[in-house]
Amino acid sequence: MLLIILTLFPVIGGLILPMLNKIQNRNTRLGAVILIQVIETVLGFMVILGDKISTGTFTLVDQISVGFTADTLAKFFVALVIVGWTLVTLYACVYMKHEENEMRFFLFMFLSEGAMLGAALSQNLVSMYVFYEMVTLFSMPLVLHSLSKESVAAAKKYLYYSVAGAFLALFGIFVLATNSSTLSFVAGGVDVTASPLVLASVFTMLLGFGAKAGLFPMHGWLPTAHPVAPAPASALLSGLIAKAGVLAIIRTIFYIVGTDVLTGTWVQTVALSFALLTVLMGSMMAYLEKGFKKRLAFSTVSQISYVLTGLFLFTDDGFQGALWQIVFHAVVKVGLFLCAGAVIFMYGKTDVKDLKGLGKKMPITFTCFTVLSLSLIGIPPTGGFYSKWYIATSALDADLGALSYIAPIILLVSAILTAAYLLSISIDAFFGKEETEIEKVREPLFMVIPIIILTVIAVAGGIFSLTTSDILAPVL
Amino acid sequence: MTALTMYCVFTPFVAAIISALLGKYEKLRNAVVILATFISLALSVLIAQSPARIVCFASLNFQIGGFNSTYAIIAAFMWFAAALLSPQYFKDHNHKLSRYYFFFLVTMGATLGVFLSADLMTTFIFFEIMSFTSYMWVIQDETKDAMDAGKTYLAIAVLGGMVALMGLFVLYNITGTLMIADLYSAIQYVGKSTELYVAAFCLLFGFGAKAGMFPLHIWLPKAHPVAPAPASALLSGVLTKTGVFGILVVTGQILRDDEIWGYTLLALATITMVLGAVIAVFSNNLKRTLACSSLSQIGFILVGVSMITLLGEENALAANGTFLYMINHSIVKLVLFLCAGAIYLGAHTLDLNKLKGYGRNKPVIMITFLIGACSLAGIPGFTGYLSKTLVHEAIVEYAHLSHLPIITIIEWLFLFSGGLTAAYMLKLFVAIFIEKPTEETEKGKKLSPLSAIALIISAVAIPVIGIYTPLVEKITYPMLSLVNGHHFHHEIHYFSFTNLKGVLISLAIGILVYALFIRKVLVKNKTYVNPMDGKISLENQVYIPLIKILTAVFGVICRAFADLTDFLIFLTRKSVLSDAKEHTEHQRKYAYALGDVVDHVKHDKTHKNANLFVRVSETISKTTQRISSNFSFALFMTCFGVCIILVFLIISFVS
Repeated sequence: MLLIILTLFPVIGGLILPMLNKIQNRNTRLGAVILIQVIETVLGFMVILGDKISTGTFTLVDQISVGFTADTLAKFFVALVIVGWTLVTLYACVYMKHEENEMRFFLFMFLSEGAMLGAALSQNLVSMYVFYEMVTLFSMPLVLHSLSKESVAAAKKYLYYSVAGAFLALFGIFVLATNSSTLSFVAGGVDVTASPLVLASVFTMLLGFGAKAGLFPMHGWLPTAHPVAPAPASALLSGLIAKAGVLAIIRTIFYIVGTDVLTGTWVQTVALSFALLTVLMGSMMAYLEKGFKKRLAFSTVSQISYVLTGLFLFTDDGFQGALWQIVFHAVVKVGLFLCAGAVIFMYGKTDVKDLKGLGKKMPITFTCFTVLSLSLIGIPPTGGFYSKWYIATSALDADLGALSYIAPIILLVSAILTAAYLLSISIDAFFGKEETEIEKVREPLFMVIPIIILTVIAVAGGIFSLTTSDILAPVL
Repeated sequence: MTALTMYCVFTPFVAAIISALLGKYEKLRNAVVILATFISLALSVLIAQSPARIVCFASLNFQIGGFNSTYAIIAAFMWFAAALLSPQYFKDHNHKLSRYYFFFLVTMGATLGVFLSADLMTTFIFFEIMSFTSYMWVIQDETKDAMDAGKTYLAIAVLGGMVALMGLFVLYNITGTLMIADLYSAIQYVGKSTELYVAAFCLLFGFGAKAGMFPLHIWLPKAHPVAPAPASALLSGVLTKTGVFGILVVTGQILRDDEIWGYTLLALATITMVLGAVIAVFSNNLKRTLACSSLSQIGFILVGVSMITLLGEENALAANGTFLYMINHSIVKLVLFLCAGAIYLGAHTLDLNKLKGYGRNKPVIMITFLIGACSLAGIPGFTGYLSKTLVHEAIVEYAHLSHLPIITIIEWLFLFSGGLTAAYMLKLFVAIFIEKPTEETEKGKKLSPLSAIALIISAVAIPVIGIYTPLVEKITYPMLSLVNGHHFHHEIHYFSFTNLKGVLISLAIGILVYALFIRKVLVKNKTYVNPMDGKISLENQVYIPLIKILTAVFGVICRAFADLTDFLIFLTRKSVLSDAKEHTEHQRKYAYALGDVVDHVKHDKTHKNANLFVRVSETISKTTQRISSNFSFALFMTCFGVCIILVFLIISFVS
């Protein structure tokens, strides 16, 4: 029951919000928003800290059923979503002052949260697919929030790519449904009979779900759609919603098909090559990109494919590396987008070249930005280092021929590019000479707090993972 | 013991935060900084008293004893000395001092962590922290030069760090351990392989970049001069040694007695040694000369390291010589850079032409500088003489054992570079302390007691070890285990004629170069000129164009992939899904005009032909459109069908 409440609460809470538009006092409205999120957080932590519980399954048709189970992977994602949404909600309360229709924004933010939680908690492939589609639909209004021509076009692009991806995935689900005993998630996989058709269908599922994770060749929407959304939405899209694709891929590989079926097949080789290509391509495009948020979006393309690289190794170590990367990328990318949002909110600067000298005006934001960047590059002792360490060493351990060596090399080349495109921003911001004098404005407290919290998590998480490297072991 | 080691490494980190919080109370902050460096120094001496052992903290492993403790003490001592000089150095330009002290202390903790690390993972963690925090030293002044040097420094640091990390990945994959003490036996167990060489050379790249080894030295002559003097002393004296430490680990534990490794290292080291000395001779800037000298001296040290590998069981001379050389260079550079700092805080310039005769009546600076210069030039009676002699004898020994003429050439290059060292130090000394002051020379001011103490305690060890030679073995023997070095087979007569001969040749070359080249070519109208200034730059002429070309090519390829799907969709929309176009207005106009012409020719007033032409053109355009859209659609469907057949064939073929 708790799981259903957890999933439905943000949906109901969100639907109440438009009614609050009549209330004149903005702070009261925001109070309601924060209240909903706080209750949701409490519920979330009850689930995370509780036992492994499941709801019954509601059978829709003969084979199709919907049901929730809070297994460790689900709890892992619930934790990410809850923490991410709480911080971003707090931030959005300040940020959205500049935008219109903020209640509509919060409505869809909560709806996406519910859908994300539903996808995380789903107990079988079909119900996860349903929620996965809902994530797409509910997050689309976040992209087109400003209703400018550009954002509507981007949202359409987002929708088309996602729908195309979803149908690719659906094809795979159909095939799997007839080739496996069940579509319920079982750690280690249900017994799927291996055949060329099954392999091909798994491949289409990887590509289809990969669309949300920005995997080549379905990445095209990501750098278009993420930057046009308001900053809190960009943060959620890049940091967390894109992880829905990763979640779906994990569920497919590790909970349905099983790694034994896939290891050493052409699916692995091609999928891994695509992931590595995406890593390199994303970093290079980010390096060439001039727009601040667009650069971060390309960086997301690259960084999420680090996760996929780890997953496509089909080993436990790779999986663990991927989980670390999910956590730290979520933390860092949400943080970076919030920093970018703060710059837009306070000074309206959207281009990288306009950031010169802003470090002196917004010292806290840019200090956090620098530390978060170091984590994204993977400089010890920040968290990003450990995920990269696990992924690269497990790639070398996995017996993949040349790819075993190419993978760590590409990860490191990408890290160098990451350093080039992020640190140059910090250096310009702190030491560059600004072209026009702008007066110094105090950074809004509630905007800075989430950024600081994320920075602390990125660093402390890294130092903490020094002491306990197997904290994520139960998720495996 | 674990606790003491932790305190030793983490005191500076904690003190860094405290000093940042105390930013407003300058005196208190300075006291905290000096106290913190002193505590770390005391603790590093204290833990060195216990027998060699490994202590673990979380997943960090620290080694106590041997090379690790010795260098931790030296590093802590140098930070202490630099902290003593800092208050006076920054008195006039206290720009962003909080930041400086914060990173000063964080880098100290990280450097101690590197030297005390027992496994390469710990080494790497602290190494990266050190690389990034020391960037803030380079750009402390935020001038254009400093920012430029900082950029180069950061680029090389990131590149080196990542390549070293690749080496660690591969090494860990081969051996399953990164504990320095276990590496050798693990490698004996799995045997040598290509992967092992890949790992070793990746580590050489990463650590060599930090040491300032050719061809990754480009940051060093740029970054060391622009940093504040206390920081330059540490950059030159200690931070480069962390790179040498990594190379020593590879030499001693990964590729022990390996010829490929030895010769590669020897070649790169020789180039570094000669190159550094040559540009130092040309330089007119006090700190830049010292920085180039560091480059050259690192080359000397690495020649020693390569000799350790090549001589194998006979490496007593090479190993002891190299360690002594490292220690000597650390201390000498501390002394010289602190002198440079003391000069700069009075004269506010580093240009030799404006410093002429500045030091004439400043005995403390003059004597300490002289001690440093003599030791660097290898004059008997100073530590530098002993270390240079030992390494030189090692080369002679290897030339004798291997019968390779190239080694004899390297021996001569070694002596030649030693001569150049003497020449450029003589140039500095004559210019600053002997020549008559010109009107450009400032009077300068008195050294504060703290600064004077810093200079004197730094310099005092050099002549002591140099004269009381039995100390050498006491210092170097404990360090030998890192590289599997051996004790001396017999007592070394440092001041015998054979040993003095090398230095005499070297000094003779030095004096000749000074008299014939520096005084004749580089001094024109009593001013020092640098004909080479900015003419040859590996960075500007090779690396930057190379990077530009690479990014351009790479960027085009990546953009092609990035836009591939969008392009295909665009293509499909234009061909398959294109909406039927309306018969456009100006097509109609043209047709009408054409018909009109025909009407005129036929003198037809009813516009019959004009209307006919319009109708015909409408039909033509409609028909072609229908055909073309059907055609592309058919083409698309055919492709689709072919693809499906292909997939089916592949699947049936595979199964």
